[in-house]
Amino acid sequence: MTPPSPLLVAVRISLILVVALTVQLGVAPSLGVFGVQGDLLLLVAIAAGVATGPDRGAVLAFATGIAYDLMLQTPFGLSALTYAMVAYLVGNLQDSVLRAAWWIPVVTATAASMLGVILYGVLGTVLGEDLIALSLLRVAVIVGILNTIAAPVVVKAMRWATGSSNSVRARAVYR
Amino acid sequence: MAFSRRPGGRSRLTIALLVFTSLALLTLDFRDASVVQGARRAAGTVFSPLRGAAETVSEPFTNAWHGVTGYGDLKDDNDVLRRRVADLEGRAVLEEDAVQQLVELLDQQGLEWVGDIPTTAARVVSGNPSNFSHSLDISKGSDEGIKVGMPVVNGAGLVGKVVQVTSGRSTVQLITDPDFAVGIKLLPSQVPGTARGQGRGQNLVVDTNLEADAEDVPKPGASLTTSGIDRAAFPPSIPVGKLKEVRESGGGLTLDLIVRPMADTQRLAYVTVLLWEPPE
Repeated sequence: MTPPSPLLVAVRISLILVVALTVQLGVAPSLGVFGVQGDLLLLVAIAAGVATGPDRGAVLAFATGIAYDLMLQTPFGLSALTYAMVAYLVGNLQDSVLRAAWWIPVVTATAASMLGVILYGVLGTVLGEDLIALSLLRVAVIVGILNTIAAPVVVKAMRWATGSSNSVRARAVYR
Repeated sequence: MAFSRRPGGRSRLTIALLVFTSLALLTLDFRDASVVQGARRAAGTVFSPLRGAAETVSEPFTNAWHGVTGYGDLKDDNDVLRRRVADLEGRAVLEEDAVQQLVELLDQQGLEWVGDIPTTAARVVSGNPSNFSHSLDISKGSDEGIKVGMPVVNGAGLVGKVVQVTSGRSTVQLITDPDFAVGIKLLPSQVPGTARGQGRGQNLVVDTNLEADAEDVPKPGASLTTSGIDRAAFPPSIPVGKLKEVRESGGGLTLDLIVRPMADTQRLAYVTVLLWEPPE
């Protein structure tokens, strides 16, 4: 299969970002579970790491975080920093996986979502936001569960956007 | 090229650059750089129609979701509210007379009364946009005369203040935001202090200079309103909360007050923006 041109990849990723931002800002606040909403943008960042590896994944995750930060009143750059670090970690983890089972990205998304929430809380607290509390663990667990539900769709969408199918990643791993 | 032979080294360089860029952006934000606020305003303006469309389209689904997940709470809330309405109707008659006397008194002294400030009502169109933000969006913006810094209230008391405005939408920082601070006075003692948010669903903490062995230690149940002292960010006499608990702080030398906010910031459907600009 011919890989898509860089322009097409950029257009597809922009489309995913706009849709994810629209859902996150327009729909997710009304669909909370115990007052906690899923973090679709974090999931897009994780999917970028899964689909494209640590290098491109971190850059895409950073861009995703910047887009989200522009819409929030939280410290500007905090989501970008967290997402980039999580995607980098996920990308490195994916590179070390030799079997491309369907459930690996889903389990990765669950664990990485929880890690992302906790990392955001820790980094935010370092920056003076006072985010570490018992509720942080509760938020992390619920975000992990909610993101797991959406993970197969988001990972598939990111693979489509970047032109990196499961088999392509597997080939890259064996190379 | 060295990078292509060592992909691990390249990705480490990439993440290092991204971390550095993030820290630079965070520093800019902490220094209140106008470029950050400008970018946020522009992004909010551009994205506002899409967001509005998503909210409208998803409304039936989100209503159904609330119906399923919040039915029990709604029934309990209705019972509590019916009792409160009956109670408040009785008190309203007495308060009408008291307010009339207050207005006359303030007028004689040439002082401002919050009841005279023009207002505009707005619908809450979107709640917290993330799990760590303490803001909400309302359906009116600069077209209705709303500006950054204006106080936002509901029937119970202070909700927050406007922190970002586009033509048809505004973002309100909630009173529970840990970055939110408001000057208050205790009633009836008039002791001043500063109330700070402690996070979603949490009580406020008020720093005072009350000493732990003071004779006039306030009792739980006392009311707090905005102080409105010279150049304050809020006009005077907006209800802020009720005192819940008094704690020692500063090694037992001073007192911190734990205050339950009057406005329930987690269940807001409509709010009122006071068209009052804080002094420069």
